[in-house]
Amino acid sequence: MDDSLSYPPIDPTNFDLIIVGTGLPESVLAAAASAAGKTVLHLDPNSFYGSHFSSLPLSDLTSFLHSQSSSHHSPPPSSSSSSADHIAVDLSSRPMYSDLDISSHSPEPLQHSRTFNLDLAGPRVLFCADSAVDLMLKSGASQYMEFKSVDANFVCDGDGKLSSVPDSRSAIFSDTTLGLAVKTRLGIFFKLVDGHLKAAVVGSDGGDESCDESGRISDEDLESPFVDFLNKLRLPPKIKSTILYAIAMADYDQDNMEVCKDFLKTKDGINRLALYHSSVGRFSNALGALIYPIYGQGELPQAFCRRAAVKGCLYVLRMPVNALLMDKDSGSYKGVKVASGQELFSHQIILGPSFIVPSPLLKSSPDILQAKLKDFGLQDFRGKVARGICITKSSLKRDVSTFLAVYPPKSLYPEQVASIRVLQIGSSLAVCPSGMYVLYLSTLCDDAIQGKKSLHAAVNAIFSVPISGTPENSNTDESENAEVKPTLLWSALYIQEMATCSFDSIFSTPMPDGNLNYNDLLDATKKLFHMMFPHHEFFPETAFTDPEDDGGFDQSPSDDSLNS
Amino acid sequence: MATMGHNNLNAKLVLLGDMGAGKSSLVLRFVKGQFLEFQESTIGAAFFSQTLAVDDATVKFEIWDTAGQERYHSLAPMYYRGAAAAIIVYDITSTDSFTRAKKWVQELQKQGNPNMVMALAGNKADLEDKRKVTAEEARVYAEENSLFFVETSAKTAANVNDVFYEIAKRLPRAQPAQNPAGMVLVDRPAEGSRTASCCS
Repeated sequence: MDDSLSYPPIDPTNFDLIIVGTGLPESVLAAAASAAGKTVLHLDPNSFYGSHFSSLPLSDLTSFLHSQSSSHHSPPPSSSSSSADHIAVDLSSRPMYSDLDISSHSPEPLQHSRTFNLDLAGPRVLFCADSAVDLMLKSGASQYMEFKSVDANFVCDGDGKLSSVPDSRSAIFSDTTLGLAVKTRLGIFFKLVDGHLKAAVVGSDGGDESCDESGRISDEDLESPFVDFLNKLRLPPKIKSTILYAIAMADYDQDNMEVCKDFLKTKDGINRLALYHSSVGRFSNALGALIYPIYGQGELPQAFCRRAAVKGCLYVLRMPVNALLMDKDSGSYKGVKVASGQELFSHQIILGPSFIVPSPLLKSSPDILQAKLKDFGLQDFRGKVARGICITKSSLKRDVSTFLAVYPPKSLYPEQVASIRVLQIGSSLAVCPSGMYVLYLSTLCDDAIQGKKSLHAAVNAIFSVPISGTPENSNTDESENAEVKPTLLWSALYIQEMATCSFDSIFSTPMPDGNLNYNDLLDATKKLFHMMFPHHEFFPETAFTDPEDDGGFDQSPSDDSLNS
Repeated sequence: MATMGHNNLNAKLVLLGDMGAGKSSLVLRFVKGQFLEFQESTIGAAFFSQTLAVDDATVKFEIWDTAGQERYHSLAPMYYRGAAAAIIVYDITSTDSFTRAKKWVQELQKQGNPNMVMALAGNKADLEDKRKVTAEEARVYAEENSLFFVETSAKTAANVNDVFYEIAKRLPRAQPAQNPAGMVLVDRPAEGSRTASCCS
């Protein structure tokens, strides 16, 4: 409600765990710790849930990106607050975004600012069989959300055309553009992969790993690049590219030893094929492999936070943490001092990825403290993600409003080293005014120049960008001609840092990665949980199956449920 | 959003109001017929569902409780989204809780579904000797803001069911869904063993 409202003091003042920031990893940890019976205080300096994972109205999104593009040594020094047994170490935040470039070609999107729910970490989708979906079901967070199928999945071929990604074997075999020889080779490929996966299932049940004659692909092949495996089977470039970039979602050019930072191993490639395949048809009324939450990805952290609240977690938004309280003698973490001046204590703390303890301050601290905090803030950077959000009034593909399109390396320009993924979401997902579409773009990059170059190439390939000064409606009759590109109304392009988890006496959570789904992030989150609470299960199975737990909410699937 | 099929409506109903006004007590009374003298702050329950038969339809309420997130004004937008009805609860023995109730009404008018059916419930009506908010004052406010108003007591059960029945009656019967309903994830034990394989 009103920002002006003054909060009552937070009560109680001692917790097992204090979490700062409500991004997805923090929210999942809050829900998991609360489900494990821990007392948790969850704070966020923002007035909204989700931190770097939220979905925001258009004007809120731009102000958040601006505010997070410069560093804040915000709070006035907490100075003399140090008591007898602890000292306060000021907390500040570092910029997680840079090179923010917002272009507005039409006033319309801004006029409807509040109708938008724009994802900060887009493009993101869920695979029906991925670990985020499993975790939502297991934790009970799924009951607060609704999803829709992503209608179609495209890959850009060598000629700049978008063609459908087949999601079943029959779709491939009914594809008239493929010759018989190609279909035969594909048949061999699928047989090999199927045989391997079946053998792996049997192997894990039966125990004896060394039964290679059962159809398993050899360990040598499994550890070698997936692209070599596909080459060995003489799959044509178009099929190879579809499998590598639009199904296995490889990031870098797998054919180029020099630029490829991350070769997809055959083992991982096959697992990703299996994920894609088991996603298709997992829920009887999801058409394809992918689903997207109504109201945007920012619903996920909210759902986990609500789950945490139901288990007793205390929520206070709009409450910045100004300082960490450290024990004078041991240098170990004791608690936090929040903006209201209150001091709150906990055994453990988790900080969102943008918070740092400035090193100049550490110099004046006792030696032990300095040693403890030395590595904190020097987090492990894994490059950057270039992201773009574009708004338009016509769909890039006629008759499809929600789809994913992958532009594999080199498909847009010769030096393109990484895949560019584009997700178009229509107004039926309640993320924009009706009649508009939001397109999210992302690609991995080493630096802002490279990232922006890729984004611009994609924007130019997808949209007709009005030259500033020309009236926006210069491009009429676009619905008459399918070849006319959608007109770009508004766009935001930005570079996001990718900080991973770090931990010392203080744990911090990762930034959104460059992937489409949350699998890697949730794996990291789960590891963090086990490090903090080695004796607790990450969402015990019983947490949700107890019918009393939710006041007897009737879980029987109704007509509009996604059933598996 | 209220969705309809064969005269069956599903309606999300949210409770709002100050901590301690009796939101959870009202729901417990309505859903389970129970009353606890010292109800703890809401922990452990997020959802209740209850089906009511009114004149021409069966209404299945999905009742969302705040799970305590209102305590420091930290309710998520998710809470209001798609709600077909809201009950704003205050405690007739607390003028502060009435003031807060009015703020919740403003918040809903700003953020919620414009067709939402809103009820103002002055709870703890059994504590007449400690009354601080007159029924007249609340009634005038409710009329000005097109809410329907009733005083309730979760303790004696007075008017509790009536609030829910009245909401059920007032729900628009053929409301065009603003956003076509999506799908809820429901997992059921896999039938047989699903063999992971690709593109078959």
